[in-house]
Amino acid sequence: MPELKVKGVTIVETFAEAFPMVGTRVIITAPTAEWAMISARTMTGFATSVIACGAEGGIERTVPKSETPDGRPGVAVLLFTMDKNMLQTQLRNRVGQCVLTSPGSACYAGLEGEKTLKLGASLRFFGDGWQMSKVIGGRRYWRIPVMGGEFVCEEKTGMTTKGVGGGNLLVVGKSHKSVLAACTRAVKAIADVPDVITPFPGGIVRSGSKVGSKYAGQIASTNHAYAPGLKWHKDSELPPSAEAVLEIVIDGLTADAVHEAMEVGIHAIAKGGSREGVTHITAGNYGGNLGPHHFHLKEIVG
Amino acid sequence: MSALCFELKGRPEQRLDLSSLVPGRLDGLNRKEIEALSVATTRESLTVGDVFKVEGKDVQSLHFVGTDDRCDKIGAKLAGGEIVVDGDAGMLLGAQMKSGKITVEGSAGVSAGASMVGGEIRVRRDVGDQAGGVASGETFGMRGGFIVIGGDAGALIGERLRRGLIVVGGKAGDYAGGRMIAGTILLQGGAGRYAGYSNRRGSLIFADKPRHLMPTYVDSGVMEFDYLRLLETWLREQGLRIRLGGRARRLMGDMAVLGKGEMLILE
Repeated sequence: MPELKVKGVTIVETFAEAFPMVGTRVIITAPTAEWAMISARTMTGFATSVIACGAEGGIERTVPKSETPDGRPGVAVLLFTMDKNMLQTQLRNRVGQCVLTSPGSACYAGLEGEKTLKLGASLRFFGDGWQMSKVIGGRRYWRIPVMGGEFVCEEKTGMTTKGVGGGNLLVVGKSHKSVLAACTRAVKAIADVPDVITPFPGGIVRSGSKVGSKYAGQIASTNHAYAPGLKWHKDSELPPSAEAVLEIVIDGLTADAVHEAMEVGIHAIAKGGSREGVTHITAGNYGGNLGPHHFHLKEIVG
Repeated sequence: MSALCFELKGRPEQRLDLSSLVPGRLDGLNRKEIEALSVATTRESLTVGDVFKVEGKDVQSLHFVGTDDRCDKIGAKLAGGEIVVDGDAGMLLGAQMKSGKITVEGSAGVSAGASMVGGEIRVRRDVGDQAGGVASGETFGMRGGFIVIGGDAGALIGERLRRGLIVVGGKAGDYAGGRMIAGTILLQGGAGRYAGYSNRRGSLIFADKPRHLMPTYVDSGVMEFDYLRLLETWLREQGLRIRLGGRARRLMGDMAVLGKGEMLILE
């Protein structure tokens, strides 16, 4: 079978194996776009992987004044976990510690769904009895008096059980510089795709992991098959020319959104062509037995 | 399908009870059956056919034409559908309604939207006393929904209001928000005396400083309210361009009762 290449970059015939996740969206607003972004960044800080962060989160997009419930600049944030209880806990803690505390912020539901998560419904207790509820257009909002004035927070937000976590692209290249440049471009392109986030630092993971380890109690460890310094090993999946591998992990509210993000990502990576130094685009999987979502790179590009 | 239209033939001899002329009740009835419905409130019998010229078919969209202040209970207990009143309405317009929309081109009598639970009432001109107040047999006033009054309102607007929003374009009478439990009243043209009397948790929003303030309201000064921005945005989506801004003076009260209500006086 001939190798599939895009602008000279080999698309390895494999698939990304992704998992079902529960996800939600909230809209954070603030007096300025800058402060909405600060609040959103804080809320989605330390939210790269469920392995040890409790949740995976990121900024989906900025929301213009004309689209937010209170007419102020906003930012849409997505948050994912493996189950509803954890998502509820993470949402409460993150909005409570990072949005409530952020100057001038307000927090609104960003998703309609049959299932809901408490937002202001639990944060209202911060008001110590001075909180006030207001129903506007059938939606309940809480007004909590705080030192900075008043924190407005919608009672509930929607939740989806159709979320997908762990869509991924592994980018192999002849130099760290070239792979980083290609991945940075891809993350930027994926940012324009609705309903998805790339939760890792700047959207990029430099330390992809495998499940388990030689050490007891270590649930994840380095993906040694893709570590260029271990190319001598029989497990290595890398060509001799590989100097660096970076990964882009994508979480989305739907499988279709992850599919679209991977497509956009592959084309953005390959945009520089093999001349840039990127040699292969591949993806991480566990043999196909663990996750129900398989995103085959060939089908995505085809 | 054209709206089912009721055109008043002339000023009726007695007050009319039009509570039966709602989509839920009219659905499945033919023209003759509709014309045979009683609208009498005295011992003199009176049917729809006696006082109205009936035309059209769509029971989900009712149209009253030429009605006056004797046409009571238009849209009372409405549970969906739309009613347009091209004329005035009597008392208890949309009282205890659950959902749907009522638009009145003229004025409405007392107790418009009394004890309503949901839906929307828009009156282009004035309303009588106790709009959004308590319907007989009820313990609470309006419990949800939205009332927009283009002109003036009578006394005791939002009496025992529990939830929902009332917007008054003109001036409201005495005891605006009297004994209100919660909910919101936006007063663009001020109110009479004793506004917010016995208010527990409700919000009275004044476009300008009211002339009479109860001594049982305490000043918290001026600050920013994102809630007002939220409300302004929502009102705009409903087609009401009312500038609330984000700053207001907040007075808390009524301290003679619970004291968790507020007056927001826009800056």
